[in-house]
Amino acid sequence: MRDSIVLYVNGTRREVGVDAALQTLSDYLRLCYHPPDDERLTGTKIACSEGDCGACTVLMGTPNESGTSIEYQSVDSCIAFVFQMDGCHVVTVEGLRNAGGLTGIQQAMVDCHGSQCGFCTPGFVMAMHSMVEEHHQQGSQASHLEEDEIRLGLSGNLCRCTGYLQILQAATAVDLKTAVAMEQLFESQAMLEELVRLSRSSVCIKPTKGDPRAVAVPRSLPDLLQFRTDYPNARLVAGATDVGVQYNHGRYEPQQVIATSKVPEMQTLGIEDGELVCGGAATWSEVDKVIADRLPELHQVLLRFGSPQVRHLGTIAGNLANASPIADSIPFLFVAESSLILASRRGRREVPICDFYQGYKQVDLAGDEVIESVRTPLPPGEVAIKLYKISKRRDMDISTVTAAFWLELDGEQITEARVAVGGVGPTVVRLPQAEDSLAGKPLALATLAQAGRIARGLVQPISDVRGSADYRSQLIENLFAKCYYDLSSTLSVPVS
Amino acid sequence: MPEVGNAIPHESAAGHVTGTAAYLDDLPRRERELCVVFVGSPVAAGRLKQIKGLDAAKATPGVRCVLTHKDLRGPNNFGPILSDEPFLVEDELSYIGQPVVVIGADTSEAAVEARGLIELVCREAKPILTIDEAIARESFIGPHRHMFSPGSEDDQLFQAAFDKAPHTIAGRFRSNGQEQFYFETQAALAEPCEEGAVRVISSTQNPTETQVVVAEALGLGMHQVVCECPRMGGGFGGKETQSALTAVMVSMVATTTGRPARLVLSRAVDMAITGKRHQYQCDYRIGFDAAGRILAAEFAFHSNGGAFADLSTAVLERTMLHADNAYSIPVMRVTGQVCRTNLPPNTAFRGFGGPQGIAAIENGIEQVAAQLGIDPLTVRKANLYQDGVAGRQQTHYGQIVRDHVLDEIFEQLAESSQYERRRGDIEKFNASSATQAKGIALSPVKFGISFTTKFLNQANALVNVYTDGTVQVSTGGTEMGQGLNTKLKQIVADEFGLSVDRVRLMTTSTEKNNNTSPTAASAGADLNGAAAVNACKKIKRRIREYAATLLANVEKGFVASPEHIRIEGGMVFDDRDLDPRARLEFGEFCGIARRDRIDLGARGFFATPGVDYNRETGRGNPFFYYTTGAAVAEVTIDRLTGELVFDRADLLMDVGKMINPGIDRGQVIGGFMQGVGWVTNEELLFDDSGRLLSTGPTTYKIPNITDLPGTFHVDFIANTKHVKNVRLSKAVGEPPLMLGLAVWLAARDAVAAVAGGKPFELALPATGEELLMTLTKLSVPSEPRGTKPSVNGAPTNGAGASKSAARRR
Repeated sequence: MRDSIVLYVNGTRREVGVDAALQTLSDYLRLCYHPPDDERLTGTKIACSEGDCGACTVLMGTPNESGTSIEYQSVDSCIAFVFQMDGCHVVTVEGLRNAGGLTGIQQAMVDCHGSQCGFCTPGFVMAMHSMVEEHHQQGSQASHLEEDEIRLGLSGNLCRCTGYLQILQAATAVDLKTAVAMEQLFESQAMLEELVRLSRSSVCIKPTKGDPRAVAVPRSLPDLLQFRTDYPNARLVAGATDVGVQYNHGRYEPQQVIATSKVPEMQTLGIEDGELVCGGAATWSEVDKVIADRLPELHQVLLRFGSPQVRHLGTIAGNLANASPIADSIPFLFVAESSLILASRRGRREVPICDFYQGYKQVDLAGDEVIESVRTPLPPGEVAIKLYKISKRRDMDISTVTAAFWLELDGEQITEARVAVGGVGPTVVRLPQAEDSLAGKPLALATLAQAGRIARGLVQPISDVRGSADYRSQLIENLFAKCYYDLSSTLSVPVS
Repeated sequence: MPEVGNAIPHESAAGHVTGTAAYLDDLPRRERELCVVFVGSPVAAGRLKQIKGLDAAKATPGVRCVLTHKDLRGPNNFGPILSDEPFLVEDELSYIGQPVVVIGADTSEAAVEARGLIELVCREAKPILTIDEAIARESFIGPHRHMFSPGSEDDQLFQAAFDKAPHTIAGRFRSNGQEQFYFETQAALAEPCEEGAVRVISSTQNPTETQVVVAEALGLGMHQVVCECPRMGGGFGGKETQSALTAVMVSMVATTTGRPARLVLSRAVDMAITGKRHQYQCDYRIGFDAAGRILAAEFAFHSNGGAFADLSTAVLERTMLHADNAYSIPVMRVTGQVCRTNLPPNTAFRGFGGPQGIAAIENGIEQVAAQLGIDPLTVRKANLYQDGVAGRQQTHYGQIVRDHVLDEIFEQLAESSQYERRRGDIEKFNASSATQAKGIALSPVKFGISFTTKFLNQANALVNVYTDGTVQVSTGGTEMGQGLNTKLKQIVADEFGLSVDRVRLMTTSTEKNNNTSPTAASAGADLNGAAAVNACKKIKRRIREYAATLLANVEKGFVASPEHIRIEGGMVFDDRDLDPRARLEFGEFCGIARRDRIDLGARGFFATPGVDYNRETGRGNPFFYYTTGAAVAEVTIDRLTGELVFDRADLLMDVGKMINPGIDRGQVIGGFMQGVGWVTNEELLFDDSGRLLSTGPTTYKIPNITDLPGTFHVDFIANTKHVKNVRLSKAVGEPPLMLGLAVWLAARDAVAAVAGGKPFELALPATGEELLMTLTKLSVPSEPRGTKPSVNGAPTNGAGASKSAARRR
């Protein structure tokens, strides 16, 4: 058990206590003086403090499963806390200096006029390096990034000046064969070995007489459950992609925290007996890799779930426990009738996801429990699934309305229907009356439209900054018809 | 080799990509530096009765000063046009967040703690938030303005023009505001200097105004204030006047405590309290003939100015000056009035009122085309200004639109974008799709270049040549990413025949350049470039005179002759002397010249010739020239969700001879996409207390990279008729923003396809909600088999100021 957080910043070891541990990563980088030159790492910019613009993007390196190399992913440093970086190698734009000149990515940005005011630029550079790292890690043979890949890969970075086209051109121009990898920039064997060692020992910074704050980073499930018992008031923090925003807006002050995302037992991912089993600490980018082929509809939603930076840190348990009625993942899990495995020192219990949510931001999770895993029955072949996320902007936006349709079909006959909607009430809800109206009916526009009208009567959305109540109601009604049209095009059902 | 015309990278590009280009918050902490916070008004309207907790705040450990308006040493009002805005609230509260108390403390924790101890006791009044409320309560800023085209002054003749017109349409068009969303928020750092002076480093487009305002607030002479701006992380107009408040607050703290003080606004505070693009309402009437030729038009604009005048009257003026866009309208009346409301004072934003004027007439054009059942492009072509054609070249304010290539732009762009073929494809698509509607539009921009306030059309530049042949250039122009400094480098390098690496642009400072204009109105390179050239010419004249003597060679028969001295290719030489040994390297020459006591520095000045405009009569020549262009946009709208996909854009612009094609292309694409944001997803929403709800990128959605159209062509057209301005260039900053309207017009076109001839008004921005609710109201006729969508009490207009009570989190 360690009593300090250890991380590496641009190849240099840093060991920090509770003060720094509870800072955001970007504050730590920008405000503290870092060795070897006592430099404040101000290349990482803060433009929004909400993890929405990516100007603060840095790379987070963690040892791979076999402990043979460090894998790097982009994260938003403005909404990540330093304690989450325990056992990680953080690379900022200053770290790229090790290349001895501009990296290929940096040079391409210069040559293509990829910067104007320059404030967002370090973030774009780091996001592009993250994409290159992914190619290196996968042993990709590609010579260049594809345009679609670039658009998605940079969807977590906003730019107000350029209009993006030149940035897109710069990313397209990068030669993946010669693009520098982080492992070339940092003498990483000793660092790797220590990071592997650190990944096996839990951290607990205990409260002292004058300071009630505590930080725990458990590296095993028993440790996590022990901390949960020892610190009943501690906040469980997974990816912090929401709580980090709350902190920056002064709505959350970390006192005692337990990090849940570094517990190996909760990082499992796989398919067992027709069920998708996701450890609670699995990040959305990891989940996506497993489901991309099996659940293409969910894959499409996950591509629009936050941004790459958010998906690299955000976890499935975090999303479920955060209990937002507009969480993108929940409607699918509702119609798939997933269940949550909750663990505590008292044992385990299984809760159907519909029962987990008890009201606005209220969940069936005891003070000593954690979401250990989520089990999701995979749809059999005769099930048609359509998932919808309606947001003001297509990407990197929070949903206005979400919907999931699970239609079991016998030919053109709907034998069973499950429908869940979000953004129209305090929790995601199933719509049993709309489901009943679909069951036993032909898959036809009239059937879906009728159900849509019923659904509209079942929801009572509020008006807020993302949309008026009327708009939300109209969307709910229309999505049923949209579901019909979308299915009829993929199932070759004739359009009436 | 000339440097002008090369697409060299932005001068700070390497600094940008390495993160070493420093913005205000990145500058090293000063010794004993204080953190500044302020307490803002909790209500949008009312009176401040009492400030509680001032003593407790002052007594907080680490707090060094707690200041109110009583601590100002000058008059408590400012404003670039009308001086109606207090620095700090005295008693009247005018918008939520309006600064009341300023705190300076050793740490941000101490400052925040002290802020929490202060309580503002207010008597709240009902705020005015919308244009309609302001009109009803006659709450206005500045006079009601009018601009009547020559021949339309007479009421009867004006009405007769409508009476004679075969067709008339009328309506009310609304466009919403827009947040600048510069990435670097408002920020300033003040350092006390000797003898009561203060140095302010500010992220500002307007160092001189900052200097003036700080001097006035502190009761100092202007000579006691220096304002510097090394660079901005974006400005877009938002730092033309509104950087002043931040600068004043830090300066107050610095001069009170004798310690440096810095304030960098958080995004949420910046968005909540600073002004934005004005929301507008326009009542219009257009008379036209069967061919779509507009015979008479009337536009009555009301803008939401917010609580104080700021630049609103000038913004409104530009709206009125752009209500014609690129069209010659024989009889035209434009009127305008700024409304005073209880929102933060609205201000400059790229386009400066032009976009709202152009949006109004382009919306009208679509209505004209819909009424006639013809392609809007036909209507646009029928009304374009015609160069040199009598009766088709005079604007409603009297200026002749000359030397343009609008016809050629239309022809070339329609051809290159395959407009006609795609129009046909889209009609076929719309006839066959039950779930989607496509639309296409070609729309132009004609944007007047110059400040409409005549005196602002001036600039000065300081050029220092050193004895190694390198050059430092200082102007009042500020670098906000637009590439001004890079262009100036290229211009000055060419003047001396040097490579750009021997020219450096220095931090903008009022110490070196006095009485300067804001870097605004797209005129940064025009004005400062011309001033720099003027300075270079003075130095070159001295160089020529001296070199003529130095290089004269009586034996060869070359008497001293300045006309024969050439300064090019890094050399100074007499062009009659072909002996390479008789050529002096520029730096070597400068060294010799200095030893012979030749002045190698100069200050240049430029005042734009020929611009004049009478605000009272609404007549004159406000613009030096016009920048023009056009865009074709195609969109697809999901009829069931209102989601819009931007499929393709084709842009074509006349920006003269480009000083830096890479930078100009960047301005065109960036400006265009900002315009696209304004017309699609950027939606400012206030609750009915006047509080902005969309205060960060989580809720305020600027374009994302995935919003780039799938196909995007950008091209430039040559215009040999344009023979003025520095290096024959044209201003490029603002004009392309208005091409973003093509996307809104394409969306409107798609809705029109569903409307089947029914008239409708689409608000701007056309968010998914606005589109779906408009489509729903038009009761999609092809919705099959008795599934008529319910028509609910949808808001008739998504762009209303506050979606009122309903729109709360």
